[in-house]
Amino acid sequence: MSGLKLTVFISVVSCVLALVIGVVAALSRLSNNKVPRYIATGYVEFFRNTPLLVQLYIYYKGLTNIGINLEPIVCGILALTLYTGAYITEIVRAGIQSIAREQFEAANALGLSAFQTMKLIILPQAIRIIIPPLGSQFINLTKNSSLVSFITVTDVFYVVYNGAVDDFRFLEYFIVGCLIYMCLTGIIAMFVNVFEYYLRIPGRT
Amino acid sequence: MHWEDIINNFWFLMGGLWMTIKLASVAIAGSMLVGVVFGIARHTKFPVISWIATAYIEFVRSIPLILFIVFVHYGFLPNLLKIQTNFFLSSAVALIIFTAAYIAEIVRGGLKSIERGHIEAARSIGLNYFQMMTYVVLPLGLSRMTPALVSQFIALIKDTSLASVIGLIELTRAGEIVYGRTFHEFEILLFIVMVYFIICYSLSLLSRKLEYNTKHRPREAPSELKLSA
Repeated sequence: MSGLKLTVFISVVSCVLALVIGVVAALSRLSNNKVPRYIATGYVEFFRNTPLLVQLYIYYKGLTNIGINLEPIVCGILALTLYTGAYITEIVRAGIQSIAREQFEAANALGLSAFQTMKLIILPQAIRIIIPPLGSQFINLTKNSSLVSFITVTDVFYVVYNGAVDDFRFLEYFIVGCLIYMCLTGIIAMFVNVFEYYLRIPGRT
Repeated sequence: MHWEDIINNFWFLMGGLWMTIKLASVAIAGSMLVGVVFGIARHTKFPVISWIATAYIEFVRSIPLILFIVFVHYGFLPNLLKIQTNFFLSSAVALIIFTAAYIAEIVRGGLKSIERGHIEAARSIGLNYFQMMTYVVLPLGLSRMTPALVSQFIALIKDTSLASVIGLIELTRAGEIVYGRTFHEFEILLFIVMVYFIICYSLSLLSRKLEYNTKHRPREAPSELKLSA
């Protein structure tokens, strides 16, 4: 159970941080200024195309090696945040780009500033498109959080795996592990559905 | 900085890379096969078959891959099926079970996007179900699924790094062995990350090119927005 608490804690913290990073990076990817655009693109491409496990090892072992010591749990949150943030960036970017050009032009014609356009016109529409893939990203995040057990964080997978090794009862522990993760992902999916329901446009199904 | 470690152990690391590539190819081929079967099964109108496929897909998609790898290796193959296993076999089986569920969803999405007219036309010229699938529906659907499939394959290549956990000496594990001996984790890990990046990034450029080629089709939601994860 303490493992479950840790998994939930890591997932929730990285989830919030990844969302922040994702929105910021998506807006910089779409900006007209070259510098933030290139930085954000580089960030997304790099973190989406390298394995999470190796990223974790870099923070945990590599950084220690060059003299930067981080707590294992901080490494875990850092890695999950940056990794998921890259995916969320792409989701948010795609959501904003899926809004028709005319909306931007209309907002511009009404005299709204770029910030007002985003806040009042684009994001309210984009968020309804973004939510389902965002939810599946959060589910992935929760699943990926099982990897932090390899940098000695005692999360659900760590507890299940060590229990299985100690008692040599792999099937039973496997079923327990499956049930826990299914519950976690089921709860996230439920939240996403409820959220989607509250944000629905009245009169549309 | 001790970059000479990479040069000294270059061929050992490349051996690891070769194992990664082998594992990824076997897993891609296997998961394509299983995935297409389950995708079609979920798409059919026969209730029992589609329920089984749905249950499989939903079950696998809600569980971390690492759980599969570890338990296929230590529990499922040796204890339940009484099969003598090795690292390669178990990681390949686990990756196939896992990725097949995602591919099944992609295939189902592709099949759903086929217009009714094509199916009716195929039926009316007298093709049976199997012929219709192989000659009409799958070729049409597969070309639409390519970008999503390629990004799933990229995910699979990244996921092969998890096979290092049970001891298969692929790229990540080879790196671990090298820095276990030389104690220069940072340089080796950076090198490994770059190798993964080069492979996956070139694949993703390829998939973008494929996507670009299908741009003239009617506008649809970008692939990032489809519920494929």
